[in-house]
Amino acid sequence: MSGEILEQLKARLLDLDMDGAVELAELVAGGDVRIADAVNAISEGLEVVGQRFQRGEWFLTELVYAGEIARETMDLLSPLMETASSGPLGTVVVGTVAGDLHDLGKDIFINYARSAGFKLIDLGVDVPAEGFVSAVKEHHPLALGMSCLLTTTDSEIGKVIEGLKRQNVRDKVKVIIGGAALTEQFAENAGADAFAPDAVTGTDIIRGWGAS
Amino acid sequence: MDFKERILTAINHEEPDRVPVMGLILDRATSDRVLGKKPADIGSMLSNPELRDEIKDYMNSSWNDMYYGSWADVLEAAIKLGFDANWTVYAFMQAVEDPESKLGLVLHDVFGRVWELGVDEDGNMMSSYVRGLCTTEEEWDAWVERKRPLYDKLIENVADYHKRLADNYGDRILPIGFAGSGVFENTWQPMGFVNFSKFVYQKPDFVEKVIDFQTDVYLKCLDAVMRSGVEVVLGGDDLSQKTGPFMHPELIERLFGDSYRRVSELVHKRNRKLIWHSCGNIYALLDKFVEWGFDGILTMEPTAGMDLGKVREQVGHKLVLVGNLDVSYLLVRGTQEEVEAAVKKAIRDAAKGGGYILSAAHSHRLVDPTRLKWMIEAAHKYGKYTS
Ligand code: B1M
Repeated sequence: MSGEILEQLKARLLDLDMDGAVELAELVAGGDVRIADAVNAISEGLEVVGQRFQRGEWFLTELVYAGEIARETMDLLSPLMETASSGPLGTVVVGTVAGDLHDLGKDIFINYARSAGFKLIDLGVDVPAEGFVSAVKEHHPLALGMSCLLTTTDSEIGKVIEGLKRQNVRDKVKVIIGGAALTEQFAENAGADAFAPDAVTGTDIIRGWGAS
Repeated sequence: MDFKERILTAINHEEPDRVPVMGLILDRATSDRVLGKKPADIGSMLSNPELRDEIKDYMNSSWNDMYYGSWADVLEAAIKLGFDANWTVYAFMQAVEDPESKLGLVLHDVFGRVWELGVDEDGNMMSSYVRGLCTTEEEWDAWVERKRPLYDKLIENVADYHKRLADNYGDRILPIGFAGSGVFENTWQPMGFVNFSKFVYQKPDFVEKVIDFQTDVYLKCLDAVMRSGVEVVLGGDDLSQKTGPFMHPELIERLFGDSYRRVSELVHKRNRKLIWHSCGNIYALLDKFVEWGFDGILTMEPTAGMDLGKVREQVGHKLVLVGNLDVSYLLVRGTQEEVEAAVKKAIRDAAKGGGYILSAAHSHRLVDPTRLKWMIEAAHKYGKYTS
C-alpha cells in the first residue's frame, strides 16, 4: 500500500498534476507512510524532471511547474520531517550581479534547488559585490550562486570573488555561476568553482558539494 | 540603388547592389558616442527629492516628445554610421514614485509591467522590465479595467510617433517599425514567468483571456505602425533563451499559434513584410516561424548557438535572415580583422540570392560605434553582388 502511494506521488509530479500530488502528500502526512520515503519519492521525481529537461523533452514552463508542485508537497511534509530527521541539505545564497536585472534564470535555479531540499537565500537582482560578500559572512552558506547574463556586467563575478578573498571567506564557500554571458572557461578564469549551464546541472553540482 | 531599394530587394530574396546593413535598438550610450552628446546627470538629479518630483512631472507631461527625441537621436546616429535601415519602437509609460526602487522612481507601462530606472557609468538613464503588477487574475482584470482608456491612446500615439519618424528621417534611412513587445511577452511579463507557468496549467482560461486581449491590442498597434507608411514591420517576442524555447514548441503553437498567424495575415493584407525578432536558441521554432507566415527573422544570437549557415540550410529562402554579429566580444572588443572576418563569413553563409541583412545580434551600452562602423564598411567592401 505505502509503495503504491509513493509511486503515485512520483507519478502525479511527473504528470504535472498539482491537486493529485498535494492530495497524496496530505494522505502521507496523516497516515502511516514514512515521511522520509515520501520526500525521497519526490526527489526521485525531480530527478526525472531534470533528465527530461536536459534531454530537451521538457521546457522551462514544465520545469517551473514541477518545481512548484514539489515545493507545495514538500511544504506539507518537511515540517513533519524536521522532528524526525535532518533539515535542509544546506544553505545557498543566490543573486543576479550588479547592473543585471535578468531574474528568470536565478528564480528558476532557486525554485528547482529549493524543491530539491536546499535552503535558498534570494538576494534579488542588481546585487552589488559587497551584498554577496556580506550575505556569505552572515549566512555561512554551502554555496554562493551568481547569475549573470550580460557582457556589460560579467566583471562583477571577479569583483565578488576578490571581495570574498579580502574578507577571508573564499575558502569557506563554493562559488557557482550561470547565465547567458558565461561559460565554463569564464568560470575557470574568474576563479569560480563551477559553471552551471542550467538549473538542473547547478543543483546536481551543489548536491555533490553537500555530500562531500 | 538607394537604401530603401536595397532593403526591399533583399527582403524579396533578390540580390541588391550589396548586402544591406541594419541597426537595432542602438543603446543610448552608443548613439551618444556617435553624436558626441553628453548625458545629463539624471542619477544625481533623481537623488534630490524636489528635482525627482519635477523630473516625474516632466516625464509624464512630455513623454511622447521625450521618447521621440531619444529615437530621433538613434536614427541620426544610425544615419551617421551608414546603416540602410534601423529599428524604431514606441513604448507608453508613466513615471511613478517607488521608494523601494534604486532611484526612487520607476516606469509603469500600459500592460502592467514595472521598468526599473538605472544610470549607466556614463550617466545615461536606462530602463528595463523587472516585474509585473498583475500577479493574480483579479489584479490583471482590475488593471485592464483601470487602463482601458489608455489603450486607444496607445494606438493613436504609435501611429503619430512612427509617422513623425518616417516623415523626418524616411528620406535618409528606412525605419523598420516595431509594434512593441509581442503577445507572448505582453502575456507573461505582467504576471511574471513563474506565475505564468502556473497559470498555464492551473488557469488555462485566464491565460487564453489574456492572450486574446493582448492579440487584439497588438494587431491594432501593428496596424497603427503600418498606417504611418512604414514598409517593413518588425514583430518580436523572446520565445527562446540560451538553450532553446521557453516553452514546448507545441505548447507555444497551442497558446500563441493563432495569434501569430493573425499577425502575419494582417501585415500581408496591408502588403507589407514582417520580420520577427527573437533572442535565444530558436532552431526548434524555425519551422513554426515559416508556418505562422513570418517573412523573416532577426537576431540569431551566436552566444545561444545560432549559426547563420545552419539556419539558411534549415529554412532555405523561406525566411529573410537579419543579424548574427556577436555583441559579447566581437562588436565590443574585437579587432578590425575579426569584425571583417565575421562579416565575410555571414555574407558567405547567408547572402547568396539575397534574403540577408547584416546586423548585430543585439544592443547594449558597450557595443562600440567604431566596431559598428567597421562592420558597415566591411559590408560595403565585401558585400557587393557581382552578378
Ligand atoms: C547560481 O547558480 C546558477 C546556476 C544556474 C544558472 C544561474 C545561476 N543563472 C542562470 N542559470 C542557468 O539556469 C537557468 C535555467 O536553466 C538558465 O538561466 P538563463 O537566465 O540563461 O535562462 C532563463 C531561465 C531564461 N532566459 C532568460 O530569461 C534570458 C533570455 C533572453 C532572451 C533575455 C531576456 C528574456 C530579457 N532581456 Co536580455 N535577454 C537575453 C536572453 C537571451 C539568452 N541567450 O539567454 C540577453 C541576456 N539579453 C541581452 C541584452 C543585451 C539585454 N537584455 C535586456 C533586457 C531583457 C528583458 C527585460 C527584455 C528580458 C529579461 C526579463 C527578466 N525579468 O529576466 C537589457 C538589459 C537589462 C538589464 N540591465 O539587465 C539588454 C541590455 C537589452 C537592451 N538593450 O536593453 C543579451 C546579452 C548580450 C550580451 N552579450 O551581453 C542577451 C544574451 C540577448 C542577445 N540577443 O544577445 C541557465 O543559464
